Amino acid sequence: MEKKSNILKTEGLSITYGPIKAVKKVNIEIKQGEFVALIGANGAGKTSLLKAILGIQRPDKGRVQFLGIDITRQSTDKIVSLGLCLIPEGHVIFTSMTVLENLQLGAYHDYDNFEKNLERVFTYFPILQERSSQIAGTLSGGEQQMLSMGRALMSKPKLILIDEPSLGLAPKIVTEIFNILLELNKEGYSILLAEQNAKKALECSHRCYVMQTGEIAMTGFSGDIIDNPKIRQAYLGSN
Amino acid sequence: MEIFIAQLISGLALGSIYVLLVTGFNLMLLVAKIIQFAYPQIVVISMYTYWWVLQFSNNIFLVILAGLSVSIILSILSEPIFRKINSTPGVDINASFIASMGMAMIAMDIMSHSINYGFPVSFPYKWIGGSILSFGLITISKGQLFALGGGIIAVLIFFYLLYHTNQGRFFRAIAENLFAASLVGIPIIKTSIFSYLIVGILGGFSALLFSMLIGSASPWLGEFVALKMLAVSIVAGLGNLKGGLVCGLILGIIESIAIGYISGSWSNVIAFVVMLIVVLIRPQGLFGTKI
Repeated sequence: MEKKSNILKTEGLSITYGPIKAVKKVNIEIKQGEFVALIGANGAGKTSLLKAILGIQRPDKGRVQFLGIDITRQSTDKIVSLGLCLIPEGHVIFTSMTVLENLQLGAYHDYDNFEKNLERVFTYFPILQERSSQIAGTLSGGEQQMLSMGRALMSKPKLILIDEPSLGLAPKIVTEIFNILLELNKEGYSILLAEQNAKKALECSHRCYVMQTGEIAMTGFSGDIIDNPKIRQAYLGSN
Repeated sequence: MEIFIAQLISGLALGSIYVLLVTGFNLMLLVAKIIQFAYPQIVVISMYTYWWVLQFSNNIFLVILAGLSVSIILSILSEPIFRKINSTPGVDINASFIASMGMAMIAMDIMSHSINYGFPVSFPYKWIGGSILSFGLITISKGQLFALGGGIIAVLIFFYLLYHTNQGRFFRAIAENLFAASLVGIPIIKTSIFSYLIVGILGGFSALLFSMLIGSASPWLGEFVALKMLAVSIVAGLGNLKGGLVCGLILGIIESIAIGYISGSWSNVIAFVVMLIVVLIRPQGLFGTKI
């Protein structure tokens, strides 16, 4: 039973920016240990949804529950301390600081286990160990994405929200990053992946939500969706 | 040559006061995300506190404690006001600039109406002391020595805090990327309040050194130095702490040399002409904007 319990649940979550309704009454849920994909075109509301879950963007209506706790109106630092993290799109890192300092900042809520977590992050991303004293802004795009992921892992999260990790990266590095996500999931991390690259996301995930103009257009097991040509045509483009 | 050296020393002493002011101002800009134009007024009110407590106490610790406390309290009291302004949707950093100008105006008017009948106050000899060293035309006063030495110590402690402690790393994280800082779970409001505390301490300490250096305070002093503080910050590059260090000292030296060779009344003209030239040629400041 433990494995099947909800880790994250949103109920009727709505977000508006002025007159624009970015997210409309979205209900999603993620179970312990699941790898869930959130796919949809650019502007479908994926990023807004992730930001609302983390308390960065305030929702107008609806609720977010994490581990059974209502976190809808909590501050981001509180939410992060509960074990939720967001790896945002476009490698958001501290460019003027060293790689190590970035990782130290990631450990804000779990500084006691810093050495242990650091070692763990270095086993996933050996390149970060090599570059640990380098200024983060001088890293390549792929390395910056890895640093962004590594920094999130330093807080030993229970659920990882990751937004468009493939954005602007070479196919080889994208494959590498998806492999690491799969590995993390195998080790027990629950993952919610928002991604435009539907094919890649569906291949990795157990379940998926398809988002269209702020709404969940459909949901199901990733394997079913990837094999169903009708659905693929309707929501994911003909290829 | 002797005049030059004498003016250089007094310029460095004055410059170290500007450095402290600009450092506090830049920290507010970077961490609290506000333009704290009223910061020099807090320093001046703290100077008035030193003067007032000195009227009936010879206990140096009591005097310093009073001045420091007033500066810290004023700085922290301004936090909820600025937070309210900053959290209003559609409002940018300039709103805090206007609000702090208003606060500076209020502080100046209160001082000019109700303290010492609005006349400038003079600090007693026991506070400012006389000259410590002199060779020919060169004399170093106690105030100059304290301003320079105290300024260096304060700046060293500040930079140590910023670059070698966790709290300093949180400051730098917020300064560099507010979004990333909130993602890693840094409590933004708590850290921001802490920056007001640091700036309060810095302000009280600046007031201590400033009062020993110039030996007086007036209601208009705050606005006078606020403009220079802003000019130094713009010339160096807004939010550039290291740039502020260099430019603060340079402004002190330029002013002091102008006083020595031309006339004291031209020092402002020189400072602001330099600012205008820099703004026209290098709008990002000599060392680059950090916000």
